[in-house]
Amino acid sequence: MGSVTDLEALLRPPAMDMPPYPPKAITLASGEEMVVRQVGREEIPTLLKAIYPLLLVERDYYDIVAARLYSELLAFQRFRVRDEYVLVGLIDGVLAGLVNGRLVDGKVGMSYHTMTIRRGLRVGSHLFAAKMEYHIEHIGQEEVLIVAESPIGFRRWMIEYPLEKKYEVQHELGGVPSWVLTRKTYFDAKPRLVSGRRPVHDNLLAGAATVRLPGEDSVKRQVLGEKGGKE
Amino acid sequence: MRPVYIVGAGMTRFGRSEWPLVDLAAASSVAALHHAHLGKVPVDAVVVANMGGGRINRQTALGSALVDRLSLWPAAAESVENGPASGASAVKVGCQAIAAGMANVVLVTGVEMMRAVDGLEATDFVASLSHPEAEYIYGVTLPALAGLFTRLYMSKYGVERKHLAMVAIKNHDNAMKNPYAHIHQTVTMEGILTAPESVVNNPLVADPLGMFDCCPVSDGAASIILASAEVAQKLAAPRVLVAGIGQATDTHAVHERQDPTDLKAVRLASAAAFERAGAKPADIDVAELHDAFTILEIAESEAAGFFPIGHAHKAVERGETKLTGKLPINPSGGLKAKGHPVGATGVAQLVELVWQLRGEATGRQVSKAKTAYACNFGGFGNNVVATVLRKEER
Amino acid sequence: MSHNVFAFRCKTCGQVSYPKHTICPKCRGETFEPQEIAGEGSVLTYTDVYALAIDYETRYLRLAIVELDDGMRVTGQLLDDSPRLGKRVRATIGVVRETAGTSIYGLQFVPA
Repeated sequence: MGSVTDLEALLRPPAMDMPPYPPKAITLASGEEMVVRQVGREEIPTLLKAIYPLLLVERDYYDIVAARLYSELLAFQRFRVRDEYVLVGLIDGVLAGLVNGRLVDGKVGMSYHTMTIRRGLRVGSHLFAAKMEYHIEHIGQEEVLIVAESPIGFRRWMIEYPLEKKYEVQHELGGVPSWVLTRKTYFDAKPRLVSGRRPVHDNLLAGAATVRLPGEDSVKRQVLGEKGGKE
Repeated sequence: MRPVYIVGAGMTRFGRSEWPLVDLAAASSVAALHHAHLGKVPVDAVVVANMGGGRINRQTALGSALVDRLSLWPAAAESVENGPASGASAVKVGCQAIAAGMANVVLVTGVEMMRAVDGLEATDFVASLSHPEAEYIYGVTLPALAGLFTRLYMSKYGVERKHLAMVAIKNHDNAMKNPYAHIHQTVTMEGILTAPESVVNNPLVADPLGMFDCCPVSDGAASIILASAEVAQKLAAPRVLVAGIGQATDTHAVHERQDPTDLKAVRLASAAAFERAGAKPADIDVAELHDAFTILEIAESEAAGFFPIGHAHKAVERGETKLTGKLPINPSGGLKAKGHPVGATGVAQLVELVWQLRGEATGRQVSKAKTAYACNFGGFGNNVVATVLRKEER
Repeated sequence: MSHNVFAFRCKTCGQVSYPKHTICPKCRGETFEPQEIAGEGSVLTYTDVYALAIDYETRYLRLAIVELDDGMRVTGQLLDDSPRLGKRVRATIGVVRETAGTSIYGLQFVPA
């Protein structure tokens, strides 16, 4: 990357000081260890490759989440969205899921998306919680605005945390009224919904240094779940 | 009463199906027909087991639909609905036809496509088997009834969550060797119970039961071919006799059971099945039980007579119910990991047992399996069908 | 308007059962009179149910089977922050479900 020209600088948003997300390790139901860590811009191309096959998977809202996430990741990489972050979950270095969001200001976060690649192990729940942990505990915000594309998935979060209505605020995703996770609710819910160990063991962290892709066939297969009636 | 044999068995991979309901039913039917090698022998009757077709898939009269799809006219046909015990009930109906001399060959197919609707709808659909005024209105779901049962059972017999976890771990392990299982994923004690992360990994569904104590929502179909002795004798395959079937009911509302920890219907149905089969629980080499909830595998194994009441969890701890143990239970992975397409389950249990008895359960074969038992648990234990199968030497 | 929940007493033999059976489970009689379910009892078992149907927006619902002092057992919602097996409770009537805008009344148990 060369130096930033004046013209380019015009199109780049100013950046807030965002403390980095400290990686953590989570033991999944399978006994496998998932490392949750932040990714830098240089790792985005790999993530885009993982999401690409899902752009055409209609089931479970994967297509719309993949399409929007793709654009958000690209915008993050190319400095076209303000104060965005991306966290990934890696099992043996292989991408299991990813979450993203951004900071509206020092007090308010805007949750974007949660995508699970490795299903059946609550990876999505763990990563969504990690995102909330980042906003509230590590960045120190007061609240996070949240909506979702999937009605059933969203209902689960609405009820589980629980989230409150903040209908006076429009969410950036599609303009529907926001729901919000407050600092108080986060800490009340933390024992049930947030887990993981820090610091991450050196070996484990080293194994998660590079994001490895599941094969394209594998991404689709994992996302679509088992083949069911088809042999 | 004529003896009845199972001469063919087949099933689809359980999980999530893109196919329409009748296609699913046809797939397992064809697999079973191929397995049977009937040649020119006609199928006289078709019995379909299904619980949700009318509500979830908006299709009724599935017996007739399947006859048509398989071009088996003018075979007799009907659907049988007995909640989660529809499968074994359908088998019973087919056996009765042959025993009475009204048919020589009957195709029994259980099928369910639950994933056509979302999880909330599926939960509510299953909850519809509870008592409408005394249970359903309170928000009772099937997991809720299981939760109420589990707490009481634990308090009375000292069963702990770790015993339930052992059942789940075993069944997930077994399913890894079953290409037809819904879930191919091993789980560990640490991951689902002892690690701090387990509260997220294994969230409560109906305390004290967690997600990994409850079977998944599955699509799938399973079929068996029943035949008279005359037909069975002409076929080359090992003969599996339906040695005995028993059925019993109990009160609808769980609170009205004489003893809410006593699976009386399992006890009575099993006793009847054993009596008709001229067998005892000790004769059983392999069993498929109805572990819609892990606690049920434990409780059913006691009520059926395999372990003294209150002692099955210790047998689980000793590994006696593993594939390599004294009494392998749920070599298929059980409902927990093989999956539970409601109408198909009772038939799928027998499919697994037929394969076990014929030495065809590759990768998970129980050695020298000669006599087998299945328990299909309808409602929340208010309608149970128990079946004993026996391999006959030629 | 009364929203009471009723058990049924057999006019022939006096057996009280709940829910309703059109033929008496004890004597096979066919005439009954309603008997209000009320009073105190103890918790036989309870559970917190998550993954509820669409009618509910709470995170979980606490349900119980209660053994009333008159010997009858009933299922209902348990409104108690510290439930315990055997704990004494009292039957009340409240809204237990809202289905398609209609309130459904049933048994709710509170600490006695």
